Amino acid sequence: MRILLVEDEAKVASFIRRALEEESYAVDVCADGTQGLALAREAKEGCYDLIILDLMLPGLPGLEILKVLRKEQITAPVLILTARSQVDQKVKGLDAGADDYLTKPFAIEELLARVRVLLRRGSGEAAGVLQVEDLILNPATRDVTRGGRRIELTSKEYALLEYLMRNVGRVLTRPMIAEHVWNLDFDTFTNVIDVYVNYLRNKIDRGWDRKLIHTVRGTGYVLKAQ
Amino acid sequence: MNSQDETHAAPRGIALKVRLTLWYGIALGVILAIFAGTLYMVLARGLKDQVDRSLEEAATVAVKALEERRVGPFVRFDDLVDEFPELAVLDKFFQIFSPVGTITIQSPNIRRRDIPLSRTALGAALAGRAVFETARFPQEPPIRLLSVPIQYEGTLTHILQIGTSLREVEKMLHHLLFTLLVIGPLALAVALGGGWFLAGRALQPVEAITEAARRIAAGDLTQRLSASQSSDEIGRLADTFNEMIARLEGSFRQIQRFSADASHELRTPLTVMKGETELALRRPRSAEDYRLVLESSLEEIDRMARIIDDLLFLSRTDLGEVRMERRPVRLDALVEDIQRQAAVLGQEQGIEVLITTVQPATVLGDELRLRELVLNLVENAVRYSRPGGRVEMALEGEDSVARLTVTDHGIGIPAEAQSRIFDRFYRTDDARAHAPKGTGLGLAICKWIAEVHHGRIEVHSELGKGSRFTLILPLAAPAG
Repeated sequence: MRILLVEDEAKVASFIRRALEEESYAVDVCADGTQGLALAREAKEGCYDLIILDLMLPGLPGLEILKVLRKEQITAPVLILTARSQVDQKVKGLDAGADDYLTKPFAIEELLARVRVLLRRGSGEAAGVLQVEDLILNPATRDVTRGGRRIELTSKEYALLEYLMRNVGRVLTRPMIAEHVWNLDFDTFTNVIDVYVNYLRNKIDRGWDRKLIHTVRGTGYVLKAQ
Repeated sequence: MNSQDETHAAPRGIALKVRLTLWYGIALGVILAIFAGTLYMVLARGLKDQVDRSLEEAATVAVKALEERRVGPFVRFDDLVDEFPELAVLDKFFQIFSPVGTITIQSPNIRRRDIPLSRTALGAALAGRAVFETARFPQEPPIRLLSVPIQYEGTLTHILQIGTSLREVEKMLHHLLFTLLVIGPLALAVALGGGWFLAGRALQPVEAITEAARRIAAGDLTQRLSASQSSDEIGRLADTFNEMIARLEGSFRQIQRFSADASHELRTPLTVMKGETELALRRPRSAEDYRLVLESSLEEIDRMARIIDDLLFLSRTDLGEVRMERRPVRLDALVEDIQRQAAVLGQEQGIEVLITTVQPATVLGDELRLRELVLNLVENAVRYSRPGGRVEMALEGEDSVARLTVTDHGIGIPAEAQSRIFDRFYRTDDARAHAPKGTGLGLAICKWIAEVHHGRIEVHSELGKGSRFTLILPLAAPAG
């Protein structure tokens, strides 16, 4: 899951980024409105699964960014983050196309919960739990079970599995996986993706008749029920 | 407080209307009463005088005739009338008494037979004087009597009494009284009604203003009184009101913006502290991580403390609680001193702080505050300079003012922001990005210090090229 954070207060941006990264999200930070808009726009469709937007930004105010994005049919969920708590400000933000609104100062846990909700909405899952056959992933507790048995995953393995499960049945190319799960360029990274997919296979599919992770030759990977 | 005002406002308006009408009515009533009373008295007096005069005239004629002809004590009235037709006037009657007071002759038109000669009249007649009297009888109009002695060679021979009924006079006076009593209150009532109406009309714009003011007091300061275009008292009142509301609206906006800015400035450090602390507590961390969080928190605490200090200082200046000394201050010494201080500050960032010209100049004021002002300007210049940049200070005494300029070649200020940089908490985006630790209050404080010294600060700036701040202060004594 890749998140764009547009926030000009360096320290605020820093701790939000660290918190999100601890939750295995890939995060891009931008401190300027104009650059933020450019990043959100130029990225390929579906590159960012969520945009966290501060309202008072140098260059271009957050509300303007939001309006442009919505006008250009960029539908990634947007969470507004601002020090302004007046009702009319919230209404303005939500009407401009924001999906949620959080005022500073906020609790980290609340921010993370809201991020989960917004990501869940995109994937159409209902109760906050992702399930494919008997494989269950709970983003709130980060618990993964298959057939009722707990599976221990590293942070990167978890992020990879979450991305695959949110896109059940969809073939994910290696560049897509690199962008959503890792913070690095894909070119230097193809091997790592294959290695991690193998780790994940060992933990999830080994010992089960019904395999869930499939290789699409020459393209990438897909997670689906057979 | 509001509700009390509102409940009081309406009755007070009506009371004023009632009071106006009442005073008007009382004044008019008093005038009417005095007028009616005087009219009645003058008329009554006049009528009675007229009656008396006609009695006198009749008496004079009769007495003269009787004296000349020496009428005997026993004459018939008819004979008398034949000789003196004047006596047969219809509205008067005659009685002739003997000197002892018995009736000798009575004119036939007398209505009451028994009008005796009063003791007073008899006494006066014996003394040779005529006398007027009013005889009153129950159920009948009073009668006015004139008794005149008739003398022959110094002795009283008869007493002539002429009388006339005051019926007509009384009737007229009654009519008059009736008319006055009916018309007076009627006129008063009409006048009161008119007065009520006029007071209402005169007070109606006041009511309208009250109504509008109440709407405005309910919180909507964008409302204005629909002022009558006239320049009368009410129009001027409405104009004054509107001006006041406009000023209120202005300062309200300013306060709103200020509190929004203040809450933003205070929330940012809080957000950082809360976020970093919560993040650190989510799971066990290394001692180094905790130390970093504490260091960062300390930075934010310092930032908040600075903001709060500046805010407290500014609010004390607003309340007029800041005491300023007024002593001669050598600006040239101050500038040199601050240059040394700022040069050290600039060295860390590779910025050179130097003095181009300095002329002796002395101003009256508070040295500590002036030092704060100049230091603030120089610190700003260093803060918004680019690494390796240069800040120039200059002091010139010119006519009656000292001009202290601080010039940098840094990021500059956009033209549209130049008028607002002295506003509390106002910071341009560039300034925020360039110097995140500023409080946004420094220039507001500088402006205040300059103004209490009867001076001002001017800004010349070009975006991307740098800024020049000029502090202009009146000199204590001519330069030299």
